[in-house]
Amino acid sequence: MRRRTVQIVPFLLIFCILGAVVYSVAKKISTEMSLSAINNLDASLDLIGNTIETILGKEAEFQVLIAQEMADSKNPEDFVLSYERNSTMVRISMIPAGETEGISNTGEVFSEEELDFSAGKTVAGLPLSSSYINDMGTWAYTMKCPIIREEEEIGMLYIEYIYDSFDEALPNDFYDSEATLYLMDAASQKFVMKPKGIGERNAGHLNLTDFYNANKIREEDIKETVGEHINSGKDMMFYHNIQNQESLIYMWSVNEGVVYLIGYVPVKAIQREGDAVNQNMLIVVAVMLAAFVGCCLFYLFYERQQRKIQKDREAERELHNKQLKEALQTAQIANNSKTTFLSNMSHDIRTPMNAILGFATLLAKDVDDPEKVREYTRKITASGQHLLSLINDVLDISKIESGKVALTIGEFALKDMISSIDAIIRPAAKAKRQNFDIAVTGIKHEHLIGDETRINQILINLLSNAVKYTQEGGNIWLRIIGLDQHSNQFERIRFEVEDNGYGMTPEFLETIFDAFTRAENSTTNKVQGTGLGMAITKNIVELMGGMIEVFSMVEMGSLFTVDLELRIPETEGDEKFWEQKGISRILVVDDEPDLCETVRLLMEDTGVHVDASHSGEEALHMRTCEDAKDYDVVLMDWRMPGMNGIETARRMKETCAKDVPMLLMTAHDWEELEEEALEAGISGFLAKPFFVAAFKEKILEIMGERGLESPHLTQLSEGSFGGKHFLVAEDNEINAEIIEELLDIEEATCEIVENGELAVERFFGREPGTYDAVLMDIQMPVMNGYEAARAIRALDRQDAKLIPIIAMTANAFSEDVKEAMDAGMDAHIAKPVNMELLKQTLSLYFAMKERK
Amino acid sequence: MKNCLKRASAAFLTGTMVVMLAACGEKLDPGENLARNEEEEGKTVVLYVPMERSKPDAENIARTAFDKTVIMAEEKLDLRVEYNTYTSENYQEKSYDDVGFDRIQNHLDDLYLLNPDVLHKTGEEGLLEDLSGLDCVRNLRDVVKMANTVDGKLLGIPQEVVVYGLFVNKDMFDEYDLELPNTPDEFLECCRVFKENGIETPVGANRWWLETFVFAQAYADLYNEGDIEAEIEALNSGERKYSEYMRPGFEYLKEMMDLGYIDAETAYTYEAIDGEGPDFMAQKTPIVMAYWGAANADTAYGKPEFNLRVIGFPSERGQMPVLSMTGLSVCSNAENKEDALDVLEIMVSDEALRVYAETNKVISPSKNVEVDCIPALRPLNDLVNEGTYVLASNAGMKVEQWGNTCLIVRKLMEGASVDECMAEFDRLQEESLN
Repeated sequence: MRRRTVQIVPFLLIFCILGAVVYSVAKKISTEMSLSAINNLDASLDLIGNTIETILGKEAEFQVLIAQEMADSKNPEDFVLSYERNSTMVRISMIPAGETEGISNTGEVFSEEELDFSAGKTVAGLPLSSSYINDMGTWAYTMKCPIIREEEEIGMLYIEYIYDSFDEALPNDFYDSEATLYLMDAASQKFVMKPKGIGERNAGHLNLTDFYNANKIREEDIKETVGEHINSGKDMMFYHNIQNQESLIYMWSVNEGVVYLIGYVPVKAIQREGDAVNQNMLIVVAVMLAAFVGCCLFYLFYERQQRKIQKDREAERELHNKQLKEALQTAQIANNSKTTFLSNMSHDIRTPMNAILGFATLLAKDVDDPEKVREYTRKITASGQHLLSLINDVLDISKIESGKVALTIGEFALKDMISSIDAIIRPAAKAKRQNFDIAVTGIKHEHLIGDETRINQILINLLSNAVKYTQEGGNIWLRIIGLDQHSNQFERIRFEVEDNGYGMTPEFLETIFDAFTRAENSTTNKVQGTGLGMAITKNIVELMGGMIEVFSMVEMGSLFTVDLELRIPETEGDEKFWEQKGISRILVVDDEPDLCETVRLLMEDTGVHVDASHSGEEALHMRTCEDAKDYDVVLMDWRMPGMNGIETARRMKETCAKDVPMLLMTAHDWEELEEEALEAGISGFLAKPFFVAAFKEKILEIMGERGLESPHLTQLSEGSFGGKHFLVAEDNEINAEIIEELLDIEEATCEIVENGELAVERFFGREPGTYDAVLMDIQMPVMNGYEAARAIRALDRQDAKLIPIIAMTANAFSEDVKEAMDAGMDAHIAKPVNMELLKQTLSLYFAMKERK
Repeated sequence: MKNCLKRASAAFLTGTMVVMLAACGEKLDPGENLARNEEEEGKTVVLYVPMERSKPDAENIARTAFDKTVIMAEEKLDLRVEYNTYTSENYQEKSYDDVGFDRIQNHLDDLYLLNPDVLHKTGEEGLLEDLSGLDCVRNLRDVVKMANTVDGKLLGIPQEVVVYGLFVNKDMFDEYDLELPNTPDEFLECCRVFKENGIETPVGANRWWLETFVFAQAYADLYNEGDIEAEIEALNSGERKYSEYMRPGFEYLKEMMDLGYIDAETAYTYEAIDGEGPDFMAQKTPIVMAYWGAANADTAYGKPEFNLRVIGFPSERGQMPVLSMTGLSVCSNAENKEDALDVLEIMVSDEALRVYAETNKVISPSKNVEVDCIPALRPLNDLVNEGTYVLASNAGMKVEQWGNTCLIVRKLMEGASVDECMAEFDRLQEESLN
């Protein structure tokens, strides 16, 4: 900045000097031109004055000649009478010597009294009268000349001249009509003539006073000086502002002050040449200046551009370096992370592997001791399961990171999702003697559209961690909260997973969602895992357009919040169901207002009126026991301050004859209460949190209108395969043997084929009903599982459409599940085969088959 | 930024080229004649008017309107109208009319703006051209044609119908609970009240316009219910006398002068408006007489600080506006007569008269041109529109009215008796019969 200022100073100096030179030259030119212009004006006025003087002089000379002629004539009066007027001399008159009256050429009597010679003005020695309006109606003057005969004055000759005769001698356009010019009779100070095209009312056209007034010349000293000059017959010229223009006023004496040329000219009109020169000079200077400024600007612009380019390059280089540095750091960190991770994983994988191999060795050794064999196999299974979960996580994160994850969007019920989560987490929590509470508030729709599996995965991840990182006897909460909707088509849900466990340090919170990190080095920690769970969770949440946050304090616990926006299905709610069942009013008895509100919200679309009571006593009071006004169903919390749910139900039963279904709501194990509750008149148990679907199911159950029992995993798991016959397509001999053995354990039989094509042929070759189900591997030579399933479904046989086909494959991702379903399979079970899961799945389909 | 720079450079270079080419473009041939021979002069029409041509931004709107129509003619005919002007400095000098008369006789000019008396006098002598053949004549109101016809010849065409009225200070009338007067008696009563309340001269007058009082009373019946043609014929043939008509007005003026309501001695030296105007504007005089345009002109009574009303002169028939017309005439012997007729045709065309009337807010002589007037003029305008007025000049009357009556009123102002004044009318009538 300072350097630039220093650079500008010389330029400024040059400009200043240039300006000063131009100004002084212009000023000098202007002054010289002004002087020249005034001289020109002076010369012009002199010329006009001289012309008038000459005319006046010639008129006087001519008059003398006429006087001489008359003197020579016998009778001067006849001479007068014989005269015919012309355009200059309009009247001649003569007064004989010694008389006061004479005669004019018109024949009229003439007297000198009509004229005023008192001013004493003369032309070439002849007395000149003051100007007057003659009988033609125009300004005129008269000169008188003695008629001398033989040195004796015999009379006086008076000749009247009109000013109009000067017209040709005066300029038509004085300074392009910008100047005014009048002829003033000095004696009377009246304006007696103006050249054509020059007059202007505003100039003052009557007399000198009118001229002063019109042009606002009010300075007495000027008037006085003008008066003096006119009296002495001198010229005068001065500057004065006239009608807002600087002007030159001139009063030019003609014939020693007999007549005056009077007028003004704006200064700019006489300085036109000077102005033109100055303007042209200014244009040249301006052009030069503009060129100079242009060059400077161009130079500055060029320099600035260069500097900018240089700066940009430097910035780019810096950025590049920084990026390189960051990339290097990232690579190093990633490398470190992966090294640490591999180190951890090496440990983590080796640990269960060690257990498996170790127990396998022990198994071989203690093969005769059934108790030990069972113990070893249980431990081998547990270690295998753990190893499997490690592998699943690693594969999952690699898939997420490579962007290959697709969401499987479908309609699901919150109830089912929470049930399945509860089924998984509650036993784990129970094992650590932890309390696990689920609360649902503010949810308006329990059927939603989204990827149920992935949401499950998120919540199970968070809850598993909560269980994992919470000490025994601790508390874990899952809250499902309905947030304000942004749109009618979407339900905004917040999932909160809270625990009062170990908590996390702020440093760790910063990297909790990064892959390949773990709270502590797993080699020194009793908690095991890949450390990929949170990274997977965060990735899935973001994939769903949601947001995950974590708050945690060491030794205080952690809180994870996941906000998701899930579409609401178009058709939800079934008002007719409640009408058909005759349920229009229900009473909710719970000390938690939130739960009552949740029930009310969820039942909003059903048309059922919900009343809430926050204690048993109040509930008893609210029941009227009259048919018309009584409630159709009562939902009762078990644990309430004062009177609990069972007691309340008992009292109700006693006071009201009407058998209103009463359902006990609890998050606790129903079995412990079942006997007491049934005794007290409770019709059934409804698990918390409240869901309409579950409520409906329970109502159906109570009212005995339930068609077929819903498949329940726990019940189904008790089913058996005894006597069933399966077709198993499996190319891997070991796997084939395992499945054969497993089925054998379940007292089922199977036929093994090596590929899909053989499976189709075998199925087609057997009688309908030969097989109860087909267990299909996916990756097989000749024909894969998908193609085989499609081929079987395409067979023109009734059982081909109905037979359950279960995919059993190591392709365990959700896309694989979807593809299996698309191929016409009924279910998908990931390898290694979980026999329990296989049993549950098959039981479900067998049950369905039986119903059909 | 780069584009801007390119454009600026291109513009700069172009400008430089233009300047250079312009500088080199005026090279003269060595043999070229540099002397400017006087070219043939264009056509000129000489106009005799009281004032010089004014600039477009001149203050006096009446002159501006006139000049606008002159410029219109100049542009359409491609000629120049030269103004010859004369204004008398005082009453002792020759008047504008006197000089005009002399100039017409010596046919010094082509086109003249003439007062009715000069028009009548020069018309009778056959010095003015008959204008009835001009196209614009068919647009003129009948009253305009009647007032400017002498011996069956239309000798002048006005650009406005000049309406004279009484300019009154309504605030002063209200101050003394006076109604605006309709009849001569009511007017006298108002003057009495003003006089008694210390207003020395209730009526401000000048040496030009006092005859308006006379005309209002003299011809109220003639122009409003009389048989105009028959009565004028009777006057022209000597069957009836002008003095019969004039006497009541003269007696009335005499009474006002005797009662001191008009200061005749001072009024005799006053030019129109310049004399009595300042006292009226200073609210020392409640009543003056003036022409319509004075209410629009800032230099006259255009911006009063009181409630100005313009009403008719008192007569037994009620308020009476007095109409006069200053017409444009063409000299029969004019050097440029045909051009002068062309100029006149344009200056009194509907187009020019509309410009004139809109600029000055006056009553136009064309029946096709009507403009709004300012509120102060409404009472007078209403009367004219109803057809209630008297003519101060009628070229059909052999005794010229406006100028002669003015001169005779001046005699009254100088102390002559009413009988002497009537005798003067009789003399004039006698002269006209010979």
